[in-house]
Amino acid sequence: MTQSPVVRLQEVTKKIGGRTIIDRISLEVYPGEVFGFLGPNGSGKTTTIRMMVGLMSITSGDILIGGHSIRKEFPQAIRQVGAIVENPELYRYLTGYQNLVHFARMVPGISRSRIDEVVRLVGMESRIHDKVKRYSLGMRQRLGVAQAVLHRPRLLVLDEPTNGLDPAGIRELRDYLRNLAREEGTAVFVSSHLLSEMELMCDRVAILQKGRVVDIRAIRRDSESSEVAPDDVWFDVDRPEEALRALDGLGKGRIEDGRLTVTANRKAVADINRRLVEAGFSVYGIRVKTKTLEDQFLEVTKGESVG
Amino acid sequence: MADFLRLLQNENMKIYRRAGTWVMYAFVVGIPLVMSLAIVSVTPEDPPSNWMFMFIASNILVNLIAIFTVVKAADAVAGEFSQGTIKLLLIRPWRRSAILLSKFLTLLLFGLTLTAAAFAVTLAVGTAFFGYTASPEDMFSGMGRENPWAYMLLWYLYQFISTVAIASLAFMMSAAFRSGGLTIGLSIFILLAGSLITNLLSLLNKPIVKYTLFPHLQLTSYLDGGRGPLPQYPTTLGFSLAVLGVHFLVFVAVAWLVFNRRDVA
Repeated sequence: MTQSPVVRLQEVTKKIGGRTIIDRISLEVYPGEVFGFLGPNGSGKTTTIRMMVGLMSITSGDILIGGHSIRKEFPQAIRQVGAIVENPELYRYLTGYQNLVHFARMVPGISRSRIDEVVRLVGMESRIHDKVKRYSLGMRQRLGVAQAVLHRPRLLVLDEPTNGLDPAGIRELRDYLRNLAREEGTAVFVSSHLLSEMELMCDRVAILQKGRVVDIRAIRRDSESSEVAPDDVWFDVDRPEEALRALDGLGKGRIEDGRLTVTANRKAVADINRRLVEAGFSVYGIRVKTKTLEDQFLEVTKGESVG
Repeated sequence: MADFLRLLQNENMKIYRRAGTWVMYAFVVGIPLVMSLAIVSVTPEDPPSNWMFMFIASNILVNLIAIFTVVKAADAVAGEFSQGTIKLLLIRPWRRSAILLSKFLTLLLFGLTLTAAAFAVTLAVGTAFFGYTASPEDMFSGMGRENPWAYMLLWYLYQFISTVAIASLAFMMSAAFRSGGLTIGLSIFILLAGSLITNLLSLLNKPIVKYTLFPHLQLTSYLDGGRGPLPQYPTTLGFSLAVLGVHFLVFVAVAWLVFNRRDVA
């Protein structure tokens, strides 16, 4: 990526009462990227987000948003950020629309038509003039997204955005965020403890544990599914032990949990299958054992419980 | 500047879109009405002048207004924290001081509007029920008998200054404790127990009582050439205003420091 990052965390550290909550976190998020921030509860996700949006002070290090320091040039830095921190807590005694007007007034240049546009975007037209106290959690979440994108931020920060959404809502949000990143080049920073969610939503994820980033990795998209790179493949066959011997060194075979497992690329899988069938084995199924983010996550965090 | 007015607009919206605010106004309008009706219904031989009525009704109302303003002051900052909306409010391109200032100015405006409403309503209702008297015989204040307008305006001004003092105390607690209940409780306690505390401090027989906040909330003791709220320690209006001013500055400074510094968790 040659573009300059929208947000850059530089050795960010937070100490509260001598205890280090966040330990020298450095990362960058680029325009058009959906970046996942993954970690068990209490690992410091929300604390980091609070520092990113200036709600908490930074003990040492700095956070630059569009080149502006959140500690030294707060208004310039935060102008480029839209966020939901934890639950979308809005003014319950105001209507959804009044809430949006409230936040629109705080940033220059947001017209009424922009508010209407955002209302349509989140599909709230029919309920926007109801009081927020009558909204379901899913509707508050939508209104939360609406207030976050009103001023067309370059960086969208969402803390556990899928909380309280039904599966359809989650899918909708995911599509919306991916679209926002792709079409408008918005950098999206999402925290979650839901691994499967992050896998579908994000381009890259940082894994956080006990206040430290233990790993940052790209998520491989299905479309880029490798032709050449070997995967672990399960062959569901009768007599797996014999089948392994019959392979005779084709692919790297072994028996895992009583099943024949071979590390092989796409072409090798076809060859192995032919060999097995020709040798008289019954092949009931072939399954690529993709390493899910969950596996990777458990690997890095050494099985510490999540969520 | 125009942008800052929009912050004030927001804070006012958050006050006036709540039903509770209109209940407060209903009290300010309703109490003088009910009082007048009660007086008229017993058909007194010697009905009060409109000014006498205004003075009595206003005495009730200003205490109520002080409490209402304290309630709004408590809600101003602590309410945003308890609703969780502070997190969305503070992530806008405004310094925290500007947000706090908009809240404080809106609070003062709320107190001023209620006070002005009380003045207008008590004057109008009194005149409607008891007729207008240019120089009322029954006012116990010399100044009130000669120039009731000037007397009542000055009386209201002094009361408003006290309201500002107690509101800034409540505002400070609201920012510091982030608990509306605690703020309301403590402020109203100070409001009600103020004179008791003053009496208690007077027992010490030390002039230090002159420098405490509580006695100076009774600025009306200077009307009619009075020598201040503490008979044994005569003071001047200027002195009282200075004591109130110093307290005001301390309250506002503490609120500002705490609000600017603290992490929002």
